[in-house]
Amino acid sequence: MVTLKDANYSEIEHQCQLELEKLKLEEESLISELNGMLNQRTYIEDKIKGLSRLMPTLKVMKHEAQELVTTINDISDSSEKISSKIRQLDLARGNVDECLLRVNDLIDLEICSQGVQQAILDLDYEKGAAHVHRFLSMDQSLLKRTANDMNNVTNMLKSVRTLQDAASQLRAIVEHKFNEAITNEDLVSVERFFKIFPLLGMHQEGIRDFCSFLRTKIGLTADKNLKSAISTPLADKRHSIIYADTLILLFEGLARVIDTHQPLIETYYGPGRLLSAVSILQKECDKQVKRIVLEWGKARQIQKKIQQVSETSRMTSSGSFSKIEKTDPKDLDIVIGEITLMHFRCEIYNKFLQRKVLADIEVGISETEQKTKSIKTLEQLILNSDLSQCKHDLLSHYLRLEQYFMEESVAKAVNMDSLEPGQQTSSMVDDTFFIVRKCIRRSISTGSLDGICVIINNACRVLENDYCDILKARLKQGYPSGYLDLTQAYNVLHNSIQQGRLQPGDTEQSRTAFIVALNNADISTEYVTALVDNIMKEIEGACPNMNTKEQGKLESCLSGISAVSAKLSEIIEYGIQQLKSTAIKPRVNPWVDTFMNFSHQLSEDELSAYEAGESFVQTLIMNLETLLSSFKHILSTNNYELFIQVLTLEVTQRFEKVVMKSQFNRLGGLVLDKEVRSLAGYIVSGTYWSARDQFARLTQIATILNFDYIEEINDYYGNADGAINWRLAPSEIKTVLNLRTDFKSEEIKRLRL
Amino acid sequence: MDDYKFLFKVVLVGNAGVGKTCLVRRFTQGLFPPGQGATIGVDFMIKTVDVGNEKVKLQIWDTAGQERFRSITQSYYRSAHALILVYDISCQPTFDCLPDWLREIEEYASSKVLRVLVGNKIDRDDREIPIQVGEEFAERHNMYFLETSAKESDNVERLFMQIAEDLMKQARMTNVPRYDPNSYNVDSSSQESSCCSRLT
Repeated sequence: MVTLKDANYSEIEHQCQLELEKLKLEEESLISELNGMLNQRTYIEDKIKGLSRLMPTLKVMKHEAQELVTTINDISDSSEKISSKIRQLDLARGNVDECLLRVNDLIDLEICSQGVQQAILDLDYEKGAAHVHRFLSMDQSLLKRTANDMNNVTNMLKSVRTLQDAASQLRAIVEHKFNEAITNEDLVSVERFFKIFPLLGMHQEGIRDFCSFLRTKIGLTADKNLKSAISTPLADKRHSIIYADTLILLFEGLARVIDTHQPLIETYYGPGRLLSAVSILQKECDKQVKRIVLEWGKARQIQKKIQQVSETSRMTSSGSFSKIEKTDPKDLDIVIGEITLMHFRCEIYNKFLQRKVLADIEVGISETEQKTKSIKTLEQLILNSDLSQCKHDLLSHYLRLEQYFMEESVAKAVNMDSLEPGQQTSSMVDDTFFIVRKCIRRSISTGSLDGICVIINNACRVLENDYCDILKARLKQGYPSGYLDLTQAYNVLHNSIQQGRLQPGDTEQSRTAFIVALNNADISTEYVTALVDNIMKEIEGACPNMNTKEQGKLESCLSGISAVSAKLSEIIEYGIQQLKSTAIKPRVNPWVDTFMNFSHQLSEDELSAYEAGESFVQTLIMNLETLLSSFKHILSTNNYELFIQVLTLEVTQRFEKVVMKSQFNRLGGLVLDKEVRSLAGYIVSGTYWSARDQFARLTQIATILNFDYIEEINDYYGNADGAINWRLAPSEIKTVLNLRTDFKSEEIKRLRL
Repeated sequence: MDDYKFLFKVVLVGNAGVGKTCLVRRFTQGLFPPGQGATIGVDFMIKTVDVGNEKVKLQIWDTAGQERFRSITQSYYRSAHALILVYDISCQPTFDCLPDWLREIEEYASSKVLRVLVGNKIDRDDREIPIQVGEEFAERHNMYFLETSAKESDNVERLFMQIAEDLMKQARMTNVPRYDPNSYNVDSSSQESSCCSRLT
């Protein structure tokens, strides 16, 4: 029992102990909290003290704020009152203003109605019109309201009626007087009444009548000019361009009229009215241009010329060379010049018109929609004018004649081709490019990019077809080698002489013709490049403001001319190949083949004997020298270079062939190596380009044949220090090694390459 | 910018008002500008297209249909790789003029040129030339044939893309895209056969 109790007690004790621990901890934390509070106490007390000090101030503030609110309310009330007063005032002022205006109007009305009659009686139309203008500027509806507000209505209505009557009376008078002035050609009066029109609100009528007047004046002058042009004697210095002159007189006259009257219109009618003036003048311009072009066409027999030209080109293209009456291109030269001048002037006038009217629209019309509409009207006016039509017709005539001129002149240049002694090229090159350049330059002077492009296209055609074909045809005749065997040569000669084709010495002539054609092609390549450069510059100078599209158009056409160079290169290549087969191969091959006449298995004694005598390579170089020198001065520099290239290729290839057919001992290989070196040295020294490369294979063959022993190959092969870039395949190296009689073929076979 | 591999010149011809400019505008700019004025001389547009993996630059020459510009437009025939001859399916006279146009093409263009006949304005319901008549004409003259509407953008893209593809094929066969009228003998046979096949 006791133990049980004991146990119980101890358990309880333990629990109490635990409780005590907990309480102790709680106490500690409470104490620390209390301490904390205690610490804050002074701070809080300070705050409370401060706050209590603030209390009275706050009360004062609240009071003051309330006062402020009332004050502000008061102010807002009074300001509202003020603003409503101001509004009233404003209204009143407006009324006063209107009143003043009405009174002014009334007074003016009175003055005007009194003045206008007097002015009309005094014939002082300016004054009368000014009165009417004043009347018209009054707000008519306002006038009516004033009338309703007034007691003395009848007086005012009377004035209005007077003025209205006066206005219509004045309009009639001014119109009549204006017409009278026109009939009397009284310029002062014309201008006087022209200024009165806008005062009477007759802007359109004024411009219409005035411009119609100007139109007749221009027409009369143009008539006179055209008549004098038609009757210009043939001997006159300007006879050949008299119609271009007439055209420019017309355009200058028109431009002068526009220039002098534009300020007048702008001052009295306001800006933005030039378009309507110009449209009236354009009618006369169109009429006169048409007449001039018509008379010009008759006088210069344009239709007939065009017809002849197109007939000729149809005949030539269909291949029937019947002797139709061909127009000499020279005869067209002058008329072509005149057309370009005429076209250019039309172009310039159109540009002038556009510039003037656009500027006027820019200043006079502010509304965007109206502006675009006016600009469009202007564009249509210019585009659809007879002037533009005539311009297009002129360009069309020009192009037909110019194309013919170019084709025929080039054909003529080719037919009259001649060679000055001592020249490498013949006259047709200079002549042809002179003509082509002349035509393109003339097309530039028309001022039309389309025209320029067409002539460039035509130049491409003439150069690429007509001109290149001639060169190619001449090269196709071949270069007579002069190494024909005797019977064959005799037969050819005999037949030719019988047919009257060949003169004695003809071979020499054919050779010269061939060489000259080859040189012509070479120089032409340079001329083509120069031509493109030059005309590009000239066109940029003549049409400075091309847009990207126009630029692209031009470049595309010009690239056609550059393409002629490619064709010329083909022709040169063809010619060089011809030379190779007739002038190079037949000579070089026998020269190189003599190599086989020498033994290449030499003893020491034979070696010294060989070296003392005329060696193979010395003879070869001498022969080559003779051959090259016979071409050096007759071929152009580029062609001569090509010639050496082809020659070198032929010599090295042939040399390689004969070497492969021969057998060598050590000394024979030594000699060969020396000979290859001196040959390479000779050719390299005579040219600008690297001929050494063409000798690579041959030099390598000689090196192999010059070996002391087979294994020397290893010094030059694979990863060896002296390894070279082999042009020979491993099998070829072995073949070459086998040419050495003293090298054993089993050993060569064993080589690992 | 100039990273194209092939450059081809395409020239559009045909009577005034058949819609050449509209076809070109539709293809190059995706526009159909109504109330187009008559073309003056020649207009020039460029569009680069992809054919397979290659960039092909098409230089499109839009010529004026009016007679008085003939001397200008004719000079562009020679260098053209493809010629598109356009008529208006709702206007008989434009179809009747086709033989004249062919004569002109014969005279001025290279014989190698790819020729395409196009009947435009199929959006209109007042058709005068049945499609078979156009087809027949094209077949008789060894031309491609296609009917288009620049307004509705029907077949326009296809027209130019087909031309680009064909010219490229042709150029690959001859290696260099050259337009030398004198050397046509070389590949005229292959050319002939590709001409006979028609757009489907």
